[in-house]
Amino acid sequence: MSDHHDHGPVTRAGETADDALHHAEHGGHDHGHGGLGVYLAVFLALCFLTTMSFLTFTPYWPWRDQPQVGWAFMMAVSCTKALLVVLFFMHVIWEANWKYVLTIPAAMMALFLVIMLIPDVGMRNRMVSQERALHMARPSDVRLMEEAGAARETAAHGAAH
Amino acid sequence: MNASAITIPHDHGHSGGHDDGHHGHVHLQYQPGLPLSRGKLIMWLFLSTEIMFFAALLGSYVVLRFGAPVWPKPHHVHLSEPIGAFNTFVLICSSVTIVLALEAAKASKTGLAKFWMLLTLLLGSLFLGIKAYEYQAKFSHGIYPVHPRGLIYERPDLYYGSAVRARLGEPAIIDRLKDLDETPADQLTAEQRTARTSLQQVRKMVGSPDQQPFDLAVVADQIMPLPTAHVGGDHDGGHNGHARGLNDIFPWLRLPIVIPGGNMWASTYFLLTGFHAVHVAVGLLVFAILLGYTLGPKNAPMIENIGLYWHFVDLVWIFLFPLLYLF
Repeated sequence: MSDHHDHGPVTRAGETADDALHHAEHGGHDHGHGGLGVYLAVFLALCFLTTMSFLTFTPYWPWRDQPQVGWAFMMAVSCTKALLVVLFFMHVIWEANWKYVLTIPAAMMALFLVIMLIPDVGMRNRMVSQERALHMARPSDVRLMEEAGAARETAAHGAAH
Repeated sequence: MNASAITIPHDHGHSGGHDDGHHGHVHLQYQPGLPLSRGKLIMWLFLSTEIMFFAALLGSYVVLRFGAPVWPKPHHVHLSEPIGAFNTFVLICSSVTIVLALEAAKASKTGLAKFWMLLTLLLGSLFLGIKAYEYQAKFSHGIYPVHPRGLIYERPDLYYGSAVRARLGEPAIIDRLKDLDETPADQLTAEQRTARTSLQQVRKMVGSPDQQPFDLAVVADQIMPLPTAHVGGDHDGGHNGHARGLNDIFPWLRLPIVIPGGNMWASTYFLLTGFHAVHVAVGLLVFAILLGYTLGPKNAPMIENIGLYWHFVDLVWIFLFPLLYLF
């Protein structure tokens, strides 16, 4: 962002790098840095986005029968929120170029880690131990439970009328 | 606070960046490295490891969640979306207050900075309090991540049936069942009377030699009904769509329950939210310590660093909330 930061802080005798940086930060370029208005706007945006992802839970969400739509939407909302927090609350948008040195490798490794795990989703039930196969829930168990629940409700309604 | 406290023997060729300043002349030094203070650099390095830590946890959750043949719906495990959304709101507010504390400290408004810091501490505590309440709601239904206390069975099968029978055969429970059977009907509420009848049916069903798979599903449904599909989003009934089961009406029963996929759900839920809660608790500890300092420009870097950490904790929750409560 500012040129005098690209070469590291200049320390004078009896001064640490921290002090030098502190002077530099308060010396020239404090203008345009945050401010109540910006934080308030980000806060409102975050609240709005939280309400948006909460919307998928309410009956007003039009794609209730296609959960994938909601998942994609919520992940997009979460990434937007994360970006807002990192850029403004963590001041990354106002930092010098060092931010890329730290954030990009970390983000890449995190992404890589998750992507590396994805194939396991398909492999998870290929090979299961006999014991797990015996005790593992299946969709048929859910159906059985739902039928039992439906039978109870019909019986309750029958008793009420 | 930093390396300047260490006395280094003076050496003219030394480029470590720390002169003792005894010579009286200005001596400019070039310090290679990232142009930010050491504290902040270390905090960012720490946060990069944290990013990977939580990415690994979330990645494993995604694998387990989408690789599982059955995963419980949020209501099957007594998750309340409004509470989760409110907790998100609380954390976002605390992120704002810590930013405001930093701004106030930079502007030498120490009193104001302390106020915002205290508010952050309170909001963080509120978050943990709500989390504790949510944990309690799970525990009270026998949802634990481990078995001796956890009551979750994956399927309404023979193993489940025999677990229910074993519980009903415990001496303490036999005594209480006898008391219940002998209680005159007018001393019980209508709900308890109905529940007593269905409890008698359950006892007959798990003991019957020719029980069918469906009987055990009925038993499981009587003990803790899973909310049916149509109850999902609408807010009728004060129990989050739950009909009350025998375990709710007679809490002393603590009979085994059936939640298909519930054990893996409990393991991942408590691991993810538990690690997040530990991070919140560490942040609160630092806030409490910082409240003892004068929060002026001199200590602003400290507030900035803990702020970075706190925003990261907020960030993790931003992903945890939809993944755990809304997926």
